[in-house]
Amino acid sequence: MGRIIEEIYVWRLPVRLYHWINALCMVTLFVTGMYIAAPLLSPPLGEAVWYKGMAWWRYMHFVFAFIFIANFLFRLYWALFGGDKYARFGGFRPWSPSWWGTPFKEQVAAYLFLRSDEPNYVGHNPVAALAHFLFIFCGSTFMIFSGLAMYGENNPAGFSETLFGWMIPLFGGSYTLHFIHHLGAWMLPIYVIMHLYAVVRHDVVDRTSVTSSIITGYKHKVEEEPV
Amino acid sequence: MQSNQTFADVFRARGVSRRDFLKFCSLTSVYLGLSPSMVPNIVQAMENKPRTPVIWLHGLECTCCSESFIRSSHPSIEDLLFNMISLDYDDLLSAAAGHQLEDQRRKIMKEYKGKYILAVEGNASTKDDGVYCMVGGDSFLNTLKETAADAAAIIAWGSCASFGCVQNADPNPTGAAPVSDIIKNKPIVKVPGCPPISEVMTGVITHFHTFGTLPDLDRLGRPKAFYNTRIHDKCYRRAFFDAGMFVPSFDDEATRKGWCLYKMGCKGPTTYNSCSKIQWNGGTSFPIGSGHPCIGCSEPHFWDRGPFYQRLAEVPFLGSDSNADKIGVIAVGAAAAGAAAHAAVTAVKKAKADKDNTDKA
Ligand code: HEM
Ligand code: SF4
Ligand code: SF4
Repeated sequence: MGRIIEEIYVWRLPVRLYHWINALCMVTLFVTGMYIAAPLLSPPLGEAVWYKGMAWWRYMHFVFAFIFIANFLFRLYWALFGGDKYARFGGFRPWSPSWWGTPFKEQVAAYLFLRSDEPNYVGHNPVAALAHFLFIFCGSTFMIFSGLAMYGENNPAGFSETLFGWMIPLFGGSYTLHFIHHLGAWMLPIYVIMHLYAVVRHDVVDRTSVTSSIITGYKHKVEEEPV
Repeated sequence: MQSNQTFADVFRARGVSRRDFLKFCSLTSVYLGLSPSMVPNIVQAMENKPRTPVIWLHGLECTCCSESFIRSSHPSIEDLLFNMISLDYDDLLSAAAGHQLEDQRRKIMKEYKGKYILAVEGNASTKDDGVYCMVGGDSFLNTLKETAADAAAIIAWGSCASFGCVQNADPNPTGAAPVSDIIKNKPIVKVPGCPPISEVMTGVITHFHTFGTLPDLDRLGRPKAFYNTRIHDKCYRRAFFDAGMFVPSFDDEATRKGWCLYKMGCKGPTTYNSCSKIQWNGGTSFPIGSGHPCIGCSEPHFWDRGPFYQRLAEVPFLGSDSNADKIGVIAVGAAAAGAAAHAAVTAVKKAKADKDNTDKA
């Protein structure tokens, strides 16, 4: 391992907290959601009145859903008003052609092994930013909106139904919305595989300690390894 | 039967006592979800308003809506109502036929221009100028457009007229389309179900007759009074659902005990209808009460959300029948394989770069 030549504080505490709360919520939501779709445990013995076998899983799904939503809103707040240069959305401009220009192309080329060197970013690189926008921002927004629409179903004209009920006709009915929420859940393992792989790979290739950075907050620049 | 008689006139002519008449009005107000203070409005309307003329058309359909409608099971009440509606044209039930009947329809359209209700059972084929449904020498598509033009409002009976039902299930060979796809400029009440519950059907008509307006509709155009909660929300087996006590197969002890049918594919959690409240055949039972999972017959495209006995719908994916989990597993597999391949190339490349460096040094 080469000598550390620079230590950069990238992920401030709020960002790290957000990351881990989010990770915990998403995994819990995936597991409880899948259980709701296919309740596997054997039914209890005796009278229904003593048990909450299914209700408990749904309750947990909703508890973590609301933590997930609060955490998501906090992250949006932090990006917009946190004054944190590595956590804001400022640099992400997919609507402008220049954003898709050289830095993006270089990063894609590096991932496709079309370049020998890897561009290095302290925060997220442009491809990572795009992936996070699609999976985390759009994905979470979709899961939250569809989730809240279904959550409102048992209380017509209530808060959730009034604000999010329009999702049901938009997706052609309650069943389709459930189906798409279920399908959307699979974004999570896909994202996790890509995310973990990319992080570990960057650690191996660029040696910026990106893996530990989400715990400690620090990334490092390392001296070229003498071979 | 004169079409300008009031309901009360007809009740009286048929020897129904005032007491029974008031009972009918109260019961109707309950079905409509109105407060007791509204009962006088219903009485007033039934006594004074001339009966609303109704033209009832039949398109591509199985007549189950009419079957349900005429089987209202409190004879002293619903059957009377059936006879009381000023049902001026119904090609299924009329004694007249052929040109006579079609002339009658045109006569009513002229006489009650802008005042009659058009009740549509079934939907219209739109492919090849609608030749797949010909009624009275013309395509149903044309008849529907013609009759809708002067209607005050349209009631779309059943899932066919509301959403398309089996006729427009994939691959929809006749281009069957629900009424709302064809008529855009009239208020439409959708009363889905295959068939809808008879009390729901009579309730919708009574509402229009009483208030002269359509009932409050939800986002999908269905009367809120009957369609704003799901089967699941009022299901008497819900306690078993919450407890996690599910029927695993039909020949099981749990079936006999009447546990929740969720795992047998019950669509109650995604189906908006009144079955678990009003029930069928005058409150005798409803499908879940008889041990059968709800198939979601009042929901859009329920035929394509099957199989009926499975929670998770099968959808075509990569040329075969798949479901959300199969698609998910394939996508996760692809992502994992992609990452592994990428890792392999990275390793080879890194080994090569390291070797080059060593060679240089
Ligand atoms: C990462 C985020 C999430 C994942 C992976 C996830 C996963 C799932 C899955 C797999 C189901 C089962 C669907 C079915 O087949 O019926 C489900 C149901 C549901 N989810 Fe989520 N979900 C997420 C977020 C949310 C959020 C934010 C809410 C908001 C309240 C929510 C509310 C619901 C509701 C109401 C149901 C239906 C429960 C029922 O039918 O009893 N979900 N979720
Ligand atoms: S039988 Fe169907 S509607 Fe009734 S509680 Fe179970 S899932 Fe819900
Ligand atoms: S229980 Fe479900 S399938 Fe059965 S009639 Fe009612 S809505 Fe239709």
